[in-house]
Amino acid sequence: MANSTVALRAYGDGLHLIIRPHLSISEVEAAIEQEITRMNRSLAGASVQIDLKSPTLKEEEIELLSSKLQQTYDLTVRGVEVADEPVLPPIAAAPTTHVISPTTDTRTSRDSEPSRIVAHTIRSGQTEEFPQGSLIIYGDVNSGSEVKAGGDIVVLGTLRGSAYAGMNGRLSAVIIAMDFAPLKLQIGNYVNRSSVSQEPRGYPEIARIGAEDVIIVEKFVKF
Amino acid sequence: MGKVIVVTSGKGGVGKTTSTANLGTALALLGKTVAVVDADVGLRNLDIVMGLESRIVYTSMDVIEKQCELSKALVRDRRVDGLMLLAASQKNNKDDIQPEQMKAICDKLRTTHDFVLVDSPAGIERGFSNASAGADEAIVVTTPDVSAIRDADRIIGLLQNARIEPINLVLNRFSPQLVGNGSMMDQADVLDILNIELIGVVPEDSGVITSTNRGIPLVYEDGSPGAQAYMRIARRLTGQRIPIHNFEQKGILNNILNWFTRKR
Ligand SMILES: Nc1ncnc2c1ncn2[C@@H]1O[C@H](COP(=O)(O)OP(=O)(O)OP(=O)(O)O)[C@@H](O)[C@H]1O
Ligand SMILES: [Mg+2]
Repeated sequence: MANSTVALRAYGDGLHLIIRPHLSISEVEAAIEQEITRMNRSLAGASVQIDLKSPTLKEEEIELLSSKLQQTYDLTVRGVEVADEPVLPPIAAAPTTHVISPTTDTRTSRDSEPSRIVAHTIRSGQTEEFPQGSLIIYGDVNSGSEVKAGGDIVVLGTLRGSAYAGMNGRLSAVIIAMDFAPLKLQIGNYVNRSSVSQEPRGYPEIARIGAEDVIIVEKFVKF
Repeated sequence: MGKVIVVTSGKGGVGKTTSTANLGTALALLGKTVAVVDADVGLRNLDIVMGLESRIVYTSMDVIEKQCELSKALVRDRRVDGLMLLAASQKNNKDDIQPEQMKAICDKLRTTHDFVLVDSPAGIERGFSNASAGADEAIVVTTPDVSAIRDADRIIGLLQNARIEPINLVLNRFSPQLVGNGSMMDQADVLDILNIELIGVVPEDSGVITSTNRGIPLVYEDGSPGAQAYMRIARRLTGQRIPIHNFEQKGILNNILNWFTRKR
């Protein structure tokens, strides 16, 4: 992807300007300029819908952005939506989680991160949490239980409960399980409940944030 | 010194009381001295299932309140040697008893009995803490359905935190027919999730209901599949090594039929 902060996409209902987690409004503006230049054609007179993938833009900032789009590119903003999936509601709902944009994330190197090994099955009602780094479970994560890690989550058994990797905002975090049948997946502020198979497929699978900003689950081979 | 075993489940109605009554009786039939303790204060029914309801004078509450000696509160089952019941008070509730008080009773009972089986109430609250307070080991009863299994999993976690082990699993109300046509979880699936030792599988048996109503534990009439299953579990509890009966084994014809019904 040329530009990870914003993306301009054409959908059935017209143009969408997707704004992902970012550092500042000026970063967003620069990214928009880059993206529109990349389009290499005039958008004058078109209308665009802003899809906020991150709740970090304030209302005044959106207003400012809208008038800028109008003035500079003759683009009319026809609506603003905070995408409900796969983005969580505003951060206030989860006070311990703060969102860091991928570009400012300095801890993407999983090699330098601490990890904790849990050598038993996590059972219904139990939570295993390791915000400092990655979690490795020598057992199952059963339905009704929860594992949370600042970094990756690796389950050397069956994942049936919910897993939350990158809980400090590290969007490069992944969730790997030998048998993959989770109730809920979350990486950073991206949530996935539905599109995951409830039946293990018989091979290890990995969940990560894919190019389309959704959590994708695929066969795990190796890094 | 006897063993104290709590019979518990998480979910209600999966067969804790049935299992306690039948295993207690079966162990006595095998020549062991057994005390079965009803820890379901306020909702007691172990006495009914064992047919001893009419003979109860004192309960564990009376023992705790020092209204009577423990030995006087025990009701002897006249049908078999060495089997006693300690009933729960029906007029109190679970918060009227402290875990330490239950533990004291269990510790006393283990000096005079080979096995002390404690019938736990459903749930993970006080009733469960009381029932498990004095236990060395646990028997977790579950039926092969998702919600019972999840609750069993929860209880196993709590038992493990309390350092109670081993934790043995009784899979109750198992129906080979339902497994065969794909509408019930099979033994392997249940064990894969719960990951504890299986001590026995008790099939769905209509005899359980009639025996409950008559107050005669199934194991007294050892013809039924349920009775045989409980006898095998009792033998395993005494240390005998008996292979787990495979109810799922079916003929080739059955397999083919299932294959066809599953396809449709
Ligand atoms: N193997 C079985 N086959 C048929 N019916 C059974 C079987 N096991 C238990 N039942 C029936 O299920 C019902 C509940 O059993 P039981 O009272 O032993 O469960 P429980 O776990 O003690 O319940 P509670 O949580 O209310 O104490 C009873 O009606 C009993 O007869
Ligand atoms: Mg009961």
